[in-house]
Amino acid sequence: MGCVCRLAGDAYKGEGLAFLISFDIDGTLEFGDPPGGITVEMVRRAQQLGFLIGSCSDRFPSAQRALWEAREIKVDFVAAKHMLPDIRSRFDATKYLHIGDRELDQQLAQQAGFEFFWDHEGVAEPWLAWLETHAD
Amino acid sequence: MIPAHSSITSLRGAQLRKQSPVPNDLDRPFYDACNEDRLVLQHCGACNRFQFPPRAMCPRCGNPGLAWKQVTGRGRIQSRVVVYDSPVSTLIPDQPFNVATISLEEEPELTMLSHLPGVPVDKVPIGATVEVFFESTPATGQKVPEWKLVSHEAPQTPR
Amino acid sequence: MAIPIAPHAWHRNREGLGIWEGRGRVVATGVGTSPTARRWDEKPDTSMGALTIMAIRRAIEDAGIMPDEIDGIVLTPESTTGVSNDPNAPAPAGWDSVFKSVDYPQAGITRGDIDWILLNMPELKNVEFRMNGPVCMSVAFTTAAEAVSRGLTKTCLVVRGWHNLGGRYYVGQGAAALDTASGPAKYGSIWGMPACASTAMVFEEYCNKYGKSHDMMAPFIVEERRNGLMNPDGYYTQHRPEMMTVDDYLSGRWIAKPANIYDNDLPIQAALAVVFTTPELAAHHKLKPVYILNHAQTRPELQGAVPTLNEWERATDRMGRMLYEGAGIGPEDVSFENMYDGFTLFHQFHLEGLRFGSRGEKRGYALDLYQTDISIDGPNPVSPSGGNNGNGRTRWWNHRDCILQIQGRSPSQIKRPAEIGISGAHVPNFCDALVWAASAD
Repeated sequence: MGCVCRLAGDAYKGEGLAFLISFDIDGTLEFGDPPGGITVEMVRRAQQLGFLIGSCSDRFPSAQRALWEAREIKVDFVAAKHMLPDIRSRFDATKYLHIGDRELDQQLAQQAGFEFFWDHEGVAEPWLAWLETHAD
Repeated sequence: MIPAHSSITSLRGAQLRKQSPVPNDLDRPFYDACNEDRLVLQHCGACNRFQFPPRAMCPRCGNPGLAWKQVTGRGRIQSRVVVYDSPVSTLIPDQPFNVATISLEEEPELTMLSHLPGVPVDKVPIGATVEVFFESTPATGQKVPEWKLVSHEAPQTPR
Repeated sequence: MAIPIAPHAWHRNREGLGIWEGRGRVVATGVGTSPTARRWDEKPDTSMGALTIMAIRRAIEDAGIMPDEIDGIVLTPESTTGVSNDPNAPAPAGWDSVFKSVDYPQAGITRGDIDWILLNMPELKNVEFRMNGPVCMSVAFTTAAEAVSRGLTKTCLVVRGWHNLGGRYYVGQGAAALDTASGPAKYGSIWGMPACASTAMVFEEYCNKYGKSHDMMAPFIVEERRNGLMNPDGYYTQHRPEMMTVDDYLSGRWIAKPANIYDNDLPIQAALAVVFTTPELAAHHKLKPVYILNHAQTRPELQGAVPTLNEWERATDRMGRMLYEGAGIGPEDVSFENMYDGFTLFHQFHLEGLRFGSRGEKRGYALDLYQTDISIDGPNPVSPSGGNNGNGRTRWWNHRDCILQIQGRSPSQIKRPAEIGISGAHVPNFCDALVWAASAD
């Protein structure tokens, strides 16, 4: 099964609640360099539960797509790390989250109006609690 | 030890928390003068040449007898970068911020650095005239030279 | 015993010296490259020292000679990385069971050391000439060229290793994490500039003066990556074989605008060794000898906090004139240039100083040249090695490729005949450069 990534310009307009998670790669995801604690399985689980998922990283966009394709995950977006504002404007979500391992990740997330978790906080998959909170 | 000062020049309403430089025997005259709101630089009499940062001798002729001389404190903005990813912890909260090179009136090849307080980020008027003032740094209060616009002439439009 | 560095008299740093006395009397033959890694995993077998030993053995084998024919070593001891480390830290556990140690505990880990190499390479039993070429491997190359030309060593290794420790880049570490700044770095560090900012400052001045833009760098960056991905010894080929597009480059986030993240090279672990010898001795080496026609040096004027465009143009103009004077050639004789590219934004200053690809222009033409065919297949092959941008951070891919190009075995071999090439590093006003040629004629 190939990976189809939504191209830039394909704005997502979901019905009901939508939660978006952006992952930094290096230092955050298990296939990053250095490897981080967020596993591919965690990402796949989030996607299966309906989260919009993708990466905002210093890896160039074509390389990010290749990394996700190699793991057979269809991401909703890839972008350079500083393009979080663009991601926010392209996707109409209830909550936006960026997960990273650097102060810069935190700073860029906050500037773009994203919530932020450190990579070591992300391994507990705190976003799953949002589903319970918004269940009603 | 200079008492710590709380006033720090603002940039876009945010304070740029520079590290406080620690003077040594070589550069103490420079930093002492900064605390007195004076800009002094080393001058090689043999080469008739100012230099900065301070060194033990003139790098051109090897003259160890460098004199400290006060300069006018006027210059022009020669170039600029906008720092988006600073290595310095105290400045990370303030990024992005401008850093400009200032070419001195007395010695156009001598460049000093500036955050150009009051100039919007990435709106630096290249070629504009500036003059020095002295800013306290938060950790020790040691003053350092900073530069403010005198006129907004911009013979080269920043891209 | 203290290892000496080249005496000042060996420097060719001014015009009017005429043809180099060593012209055509020094050749390069064997090249040995270690595997690359992104970071050290703290195992002795993958340390910078281990990679250095591997590179030396490969160079000797490549030359087709015996280790006991080596009678000299010139080494660049410094190895810089993006992570702060304690220079006096002890070696990790298990180190002493693999390597013999010298007094300095970080030898072979974060610093090269000739005594450490000789202690751990007993096959190098006839090394008598030892010299350091500090700061940059370019200095080691020019030092070794002088040493061989002066008869101080007949078959000399030129060596450099790079380390990269675990951890993330230097942001917010070591001295940068403090609220005070000491030492000579303080004059720059209190302004919070990352390492690429000085270069970006001069590049900005260049663009303003000549009406150019950062976007014009894209074809050069992409071509370098393409060239690097042809190199089986390069980091990206070995670990991240991803071709970069123009859009990828232009999407890079600013570090110090106008320098974006892809204008900065990636720290890696790797080592290189090259065999220098005389043309007479090279007759029994396995490979075609590559002649060194000249070398030259520039050093900073040290007048301000950062250099100016004028200083960089003066320095690189002077480098071009000195190289051509001492080699007895002109810009029209140069088949390719392999000048340093880490950071990418200063490569053009080197290139313009050589007048490479110029149609009569002296300055301000390089970014226009980048928009033409600068590939290895074209008339003006720019940085055919791929440099640091294409291979990962060292200061020797460019020098290495000059030798391989002229020997006809570069993985990114240029299409036009590779007769004369020039390589040099590192920054435009602190540069050692060499002219390499297929013959001394």
